[in-house]
Amino acid sequence: MLEVEKVSSGYGMVQILWDVSFRINAKEIVSIIGPNGAGKTTLVKTIVGLLPSKNGSIRFKGEEIGKLPPYEIVKKGVNMIPEGREIFPRMTVEENLRLGAYVIADKNKVKDSKERVYQIFPVLKKKEKLLAQNLSGGEQQMLVIGRSLMANPELLILDEPSLGLAPIIVEKVLDTLTKINEDGVTILLVEQNIRDSLSIADRGYVLEEGKILIEGKGRELLSNDHIKEVYLGI
Amino acid sequence: MFTLSGIVETLLWGVANGCIYILLATGLNIIFGVMKLVNFAHGQLLMIGAYVAFVASTALGLNAYLAILVAMGAVAVIGIGLERFTFRKVLGTDKLNEIFVSLGLIYVFENAAILLWGNDSQRIVSPYESLRLSLGEVAIGYDRIFGVLIVIAILIALFLLMKKTKIGLAMRATSQKSDTSMLMGINIEKVYIFTFALGAALAGVAGALYGIIFPFNPYIGALPTIKAFAIIILGGLGSIPGAVVGGLLYGIAENTAVYFLGGIWQDAIAFALLIAVLVLRPTGLFGEKGE
Ligand SMILES: Nc1ncnc2c1ncn2[C@@H]1O[C@H](COP(=O)(O)OP(=O)(O)O)[C@@H](O)[C@H]1O
Ligand SMILES: [Mg+2]
Repeated sequence: MLEVEKVSSGYGMVQILWDVSFRINAKEIVSIIGPNGAGKTTLVKTIVGLLPSKNGSIRFKGEEIGKLPPYEIVKKGVNMIPEGREIFPRMTVEENLRLGAYVIADKNKVKDSKERVYQIFPVLKKKEKLLAQNLSGGEQQMLVIGRSLMANPELLILDEPSLGLAPIIVEKVLDTLTKINEDGVTILLVEQNIRDSLSIADRGYVLEEGKILIEGKGRELLSNDHIKEVYLGI
Repeated sequence: MFTLSGIVETLLWGVANGCIYILLATGLNIIFGVMKLVNFAHGQLLMIGAYVAFVASTALGLNAYLAILVAMGAVAVIGIGLERFTFRKVLGTDKLNEIFVSLGLIYVFENAAILLWGNDSQRIVSPYESLRLSLGEVAIGYDRIFGVLIVIAILIALFLLMKKTKIGLAMRATSQKSDTSMLMGINIEKVYIFTFALGAALAGVAGALYGIIFPFNPYIGALPTIKAFAIIILGGLGSIPGAVVGGLLYGIAENTAVYFLGGIWQDAIAFALLIAVLVLRPTGLFGEKGE
């Protein structure tokens, strides 16, 4: 579904990613893990068009999207939840959800999606008139996931959704992702939280210093020597 | 000396003048809020608006109030050109680049106006010029009343635009978080063009109303810009209600100062207010905490 081939990217003159290649098949959950500063955020920003890729190619469903602006990429069915729960703080929960469906013109579809999101996260319905800044951290995470579902994405990219959340809530988020995946949404999960993310992933990649180092099946990676030594401390 | 009717009249005039400031400050604040762009040439858009309305009412023979619409449209188009061909090139680079572009534009507009219309003062002749509404000893010109009504109508339209339309939603989202807005599928360049055109259109209307009430020349843009900055700092950066309340308060304060202290105080009050607000409440009356 997504093929990233020898992509380099960075900020201005500073190159961060070096010939990064990986692929995601339809209906998979793929996890990209790596330490802080490895370039994970840079990579997903490049995929969704927030950063220009210097070379290489990014194909979504066979079509080159490497040079498209973010709004075109969203229209094609790729949706990203950025790092740090980026809600629109001074808008209501309902307005946040409506923004998620910005690319969808059909009002009935938007209504249906909203009902679906409220079914998954009933607390959002209860608080739909509140300003998003008044939600708790966990609720804000639900809001950004719900918001991204409003666009009916085929590929959902999450940048460190577990960051700063209590373990119970992390578990809930991962459960939700598994369910969303079962409903047919392909997922790219970028995490430093290696145990949790690899436990739900079909496959995983390790990104270090802007390069893909290791590739493997989700749970099998947990027994990889390098990962054990560097990330799990065993 | 100071009479009750004098004070009431002063307040009414303050409201009427405040309306022009409200339009200018609101446009400036929308552009700042959405684009984070500080346009020091905003007052020159007011000046151009006054001249466009002048041309429309003299050369085309339009009613002064229809000429307002022409000014609004023409200055909106100028705004689109400015965004597209000047500010877009420097947006998001060094803030100094944006500041120097806008400072340069002040001279471009002033000199263009001098070239086209000369240095002399002009005025837009309104058919209602000699009509006054008298309430006891207080009299206020029809033109000022119409000005206030027009501004109220525009503010209601603006409120509906921001709250009820998709472009309004996109503008509010972009003003809060531009990167995340792009991830929603918002074409941010379109939002910027629309925002700048809207802010410019408001300045165009402000200019036409200015020209109906006051005589004007190519240099009238500078002071209103400073006043509009004082108002948005008073009301809160990025806040539309803040610009409205700030503009009203400012108009009243200015006229009150003139009435009680004399005409030389008219412009000093802008700077006094600016300094007072910056010292006492740096986020403005309606300002958000820094984000
Ligand atoms: N806006 C930026 N400008 C310059 N360098 C940046 C910027 N954002 C991140 N970097 C640098 O890029 C590298 C990778 O960052 P990032 O992609 O955020 O890593 P990760 O998400 O894996 O923690 C880091 O060295 C970081 O300092
Ligand atoms: Mg990151």
